[in-house]
Amino acid sequence: MIPRLIRRDRASLRMAVLAPLLALAAAILVNLVLFLAMGKDPAAVFYALLLEPFLGWSSFSEVLLKTGPLLLIAQGLAIGFRAKVFNIGAEGQFILGAIFASAIPVYFPQATGGWIWPAMLVMGALGGALWAVVPAFWRVRLNANEILVTLMMSLIAAQVLNYLLLGPWKDPQGFNFPQSVMFQYDAMIPILLPGTRVNLSLLLALLSAVLAWAYMQRSFGGYQFLVGGLAPKAAAYAGFSESRAIWLSLLIGGFAAGLAGAAEVAGPIGQLQRGISTGYGYAAIIVAYLGGLHPIGIVASSLLMAALYIGGDNAMVSADLPVAAVRVFQGSLLVFYLAAITFVRFRLVWPIRKGGAA
Amino acid sequence: MQRRAFLQTTAFAAIASAIGARGASAADPLGIALVLPSPNGDVGWSHTLVAGLDPVIAAYGDAVKITLLENIAEGPDADRIMTKAVADGNKVLIAGSFGYQNGAMQIAKRDPSVTVLHASGYMVAPNFSPFAAKYFQGTYLMGMAAAALSKSGKLGSVSAFAIPELITSINAFTLGAQSVNPDVEVSVVWVNTWFDPAKEQEAAKALISQGCDVIFSNAQDTPSVIAVCEEAGVYAFNLNSSMKSYAPKTYLGCVATDWGPFFKASIDAHIAGTFAGANAFLGVADKVVEVVDWSGDIPADLKAKIVETEAKIADGSFNPFTGPITKADGSEGVAAGVGMTDEEIVAMDWHVKGVATPLPQ
Repeated sequence: MIPRLIRRDRASLRMAVLAPLLALAAAILVNLVLFLAMGKDPAAVFYALLLEPFLGWSSFSEVLLKTGPLLLIAQGLAIGFRAKVFNIGAEGQFILGAIFASAIPVYFPQATGGWIWPAMLVMGALGGALWAVVPAFWRVRLNANEILVTLMMSLIAAQVLNYLLLGPWKDPQGFNFPQSVMFQYDAMIPILLPGTRVNLSLLLALLSAVLAWAYMQRSFGGYQFLVGGLAPKAAAYAGFSESRAIWLSLLIGGFAAGLAGAAEVAGPIGQLQRGISTGYGYAAIIVAYLGGLHPIGIVASSLLMAALYIGGDNAMVSADLPVAAVRVFQGSLLVFYLAAITFVRFRLVWPIRKGGAA
Repeated sequence: MQRRAFLQTTAFAAIASAIGARGASAADPLGIALVLPSPNGDVGWSHTLVAGLDPVIAAYGDAVKITLLENIAEGPDADRIMTKAVADGNKVLIAGSFGYQNGAMQIAKRDPSVTVLHASGYMVAPNFSPFAAKYFQGTYLMGMAAAALSKSGKLGSVSAFAIPELITSINAFTLGAQSVNPDVEVSVVWVNTWFDPAKEQEAAKALISQGCDVIFSNAQDTPSVIAVCEEAGVYAFNLNSSMKSYAPKTYLGCVATDWGPFFKASIDAHIAGTFAGANAFLGVADKVVEVVDWSGDIPADLKAKIVETEAKIADGSFNPFTGPITKADGSEGVAAGVGMTDEEIVAMDWHVKGVATPLPQ
């Protein structure tokens, strides 16, 4: 007696709006029990987790800071995902972007001038795109699965970073610690909001959302992508090139991830080090799907994910919540949300009695 | 030594001065935030740091409030979390990993009323003290035991990062071994991670297959290496906290660290308003480093010699890094009769002769 999921003819708008709220309520309820069992004050925990990121300028600015890379990478990935090209290696492209951008301050630590940080961003975007050339080429020419190749390229990228930090790019005054020199002032992206760590790259991320929207909703190229993903045979019949879609998907994804990597080292970090990415490349995959692969949806989902991260950290600091409990809350919220959104689009059908559940 | 004086300050006197200084807000406990690079487990580095706060809790009780921040990745997240911890009113910040250095230093500069203790770094400010253990004093003793128990004359070390702290532990281990058997050779695998049990186990297996029969688990946070060695029947030892229960047969011992005296003294000083940032490089004499859980297999006459050497290290009459020391590349490292200073030891970036693996460059 296994029920099947059948796609609804029309998803209810009311339920689509209610779904995230229901998911939030379910996650709060389940975790309330957990927090009570742990002897924590649930009010303090939920305040830190859910409200504090939005109350107060300093913590909301940190949400914006974290939104930037997630938004940028997720927009790039979503374009490919819609064409069913699965670039799982944004993490590696992010790292290569950071490395390419860092080349300028590492080799020219004394250089000054307003050109440095824009040049770093360009270098980073190129680096990320170059790292995506390999999986694109292998997929188009050798039909190698891009999921595997992009994923493995991420592992290689991490080792390239290790090599540079332990060897040629190591700070000579750094007592052998695996990190580069601190970047000079001109290698840092100017701050957008005074008194915070939010820099101009946030505007780039927002611009990426506008561009992605214009491209996917309003251009013929975007339409080709969509058809290629939904109905590959129809797309081929219509003469839309599959290899062009693969190349574009991976290059755009790599470009955006590389840009995000550059903005991270030239932004809040200010040097090349091992911990430049805390899994942005992987988190952005979730962000892209949470946002329904829609450019505007991704803006909302990247904000939500960033707030979840910041809230989790807050709960650890202010509400004395252990890191494992924070991860449980974040994970359960995502699971409930995905379940809720599934029931908005699909309905359960039992083999015998039809239309039993909704 | 100023630090000793702090140790003698009684808890009651310190609390009294705290009440005097804080007036009406005396009921507010002193917030201490401890930031850890890995989860707080039963053994290992993070565990040692958490345990180091026990004497502080014992002395001050409800007058201190400790916030544990576990498994915080080095980088911009750590910076934000530390900033938040200080904004929440924590006045003592213990940054438990090297990678927190830049962020922690910024916090110290922004707010002089905050005291920062930072693990394994090199930057100093009036309210910012880096702290590190003189592991090398213990690993020298371990080297003596290892050379006596090794049949192949080949020793191995699974090591985290090629930073001076770990390089010196390997060097002293090698020198200690050479004091018993001059022909001993030490191989090193750099795993470039603080926390990756699978990778660490692979490294240990590789060393064992090369014939190493005593393995030094250099700064691993889990019993990964120790467990592999027990299985393979080779001796093993580690740093920070004892892992004897994971290798009851082949456990050689532990170069244990106890941060209790240092944390207690620093927090006493913070409360008394006399904290002065300085490089805290602490060892056997400070009761921060101590070798525990020695294996029973060590021959009695050698054990007596080890105990004697330990006493000499403690009273300062013996420095493991006393010349003549030859570098791995054959050049002179330390001239005969000269002892390396603490400043030279914390910056050591070369291996002594006898370490077979070149340093990653």
